[in-house]
Amino acid sequence: MKRTRLSLCAPLLAVSLLAGCASAPPSSPHDPYESFNRSMYNFNDKADRWVVKPAAEGYRAVTPQPFRSAVGNFFDNIKDVYSAGSNLLRWEPEKALNDTMRVMINSTFGLFGLIDIATPAGLKNNKNGLGDTFATWGWKDSNYLVLPFFGPSTVRDGTGFGLSLFTNGPERLVYHNTPEAVAFYSLYGVNTRSRFIDLGLDESLGTAAIDPYTYMRDGYLQLRAKQLGLPNPTQQDDVNIDDLVSAPAAAPVKDASAPAAASAPAAAAPTVDASAAQ
Amino acid sequence: MKKFLACFCVLLGLSAPVFAAADNPVDLVRDASRQILDTIKKENGKNTAQIRQQVESIAVPQFDFQRMTALAVGMGWRQASPTQQGQLAQQFQTLLVRTYSSTMTRFKNAQIDVSPNAVMGNSGREATVKTQVSLPGANDKGPVAVDYTLYKTAQGWKVFNVSVEGASLVTVYRNQFTQEISKSGVDGLIKMLQDKNAAPAAASKG
Repeated sequence: MKRTRLSLCAPLLAVSLLAGCASAPPSSPHDPYESFNRSMYNFNDKADRWVVKPAAEGYRAVTPQPFRSAVGNFFDNIKDVYSAGSNLLRWEPEKALNDTMRVMINSTFGLFGLIDIATPAGLKNNKNGLGDTFATWGWKDSNYLVLPFFGPSTVRDGTGFGLSLFTNGPERLVYHNTPEAVAFYSLYGVNTRSRFIDLGLDESLGTAAIDPYTYMRDGYLQLRAKQLGLPNPTQQDDVNIDDLVSAPAAAPVKDASAPAAASAPAAAAPTVDASAAQ
Repeated sequence: MKKFLACFCVLLGLSAPVFAAADNPVDLVRDASRQILDTIKKENGKNTAQIRQQVESIAVPQFDFQRMTALAVGMGWRQASPTQQGQLAQQFQTLLVRTYSSTMTRFKNAQIDVSPNAVMGNSGREATVKTQVSLPGANDKGPVAVDYTLYKTAQGWKVFNVSVEGASLVTVYRNQFTQEISKSGVDGLIKMLQDKNAAPAAASKG
């Protein structure tokens, strides 16, 4: 029993250890383990391209949409159990109760979690993890950490995630040995990935980003900070946009209330030049 | 990670609002979103050059790419001469438009819910319009929050920032841009963007 969990956690532990040792000059103050993170990012990228995405495409081809929804709901129901626990730990009794009700309703009337009837019934889906608990307890700032397969995270959230893998949660009712555990998490991964195939995530990132790694990191850190109600960690230089564009050299202030900038050479601004976009 | 990626895709595909220079930022976002959704549903949602052209003609005039680029570049914007600023804005615009137009038709079934109340700031010169985007099938965990920040110009309201679930499409570039400027100057950044825009689209590089 315990060995299953350990074997699953081994990569995570290795990550934390490696992360502790990595020492390359960081390009962002929130990414001191950049060289490690980059290699993990590349690993995930390759794993997605060669294994996870093709598997998800195959899975999608042979399963009907309601089946995939049911599988998604099933895993979601398990996550609600953890969410209830972490909400309780951070002393959000109302949210913890909400999550508990969700699990009770979905596990019974929702046929072991296959149908999510709690959300339409008005019980909000407000998933929390141990990472959120740690943040509430005061661990606000945390360095970026890329986890194997699970992707962008922080040291705080990764630790919370690792710890929740150690807890004997409801997923223990589903699998009993290592092969079953591998099947369980593979199904979870493939089912989740299959929902995003139509969106062409990889292509979008490739087109949008100059450096996909940095784009993903800074986007993730902004998103996570917003979720936790923290200031944006990717911008230390608190830029005031009005200072920037009304500086002497800046262009298009057409507002009469700002005469100081009216002399700016607006010709430099291709604002309405749609042909330039081609 | 997946939710994050989904957010970005929604953002890349849909953050193109607005038609007529409406007096009200909320109407502006609502009208443009509706028009763009109508346009990308034409021709069975095929991403043809004609559709891209139509969407661009709706979306592009609603943005102030100069201001947007300044926000993306940050402090380095001051080092740039007016000519360089113009070049930066043009390259950044090309990058964003290319990104949108390659993915937009994936969002033809999206539903956009525009909140009727804009959050005003900067003594009424700035407004943030909040929207909720649902895409059947992909984000059945609930809609994704997409916020547009506009400011008032003599030509009406213009969008200069878009964020998805709190992550800004614009400032997500700042670290990359700052690094490039400190490494090879403003011209280095312009060159980098030019190279990026000259490369074939949608080549996801590891």
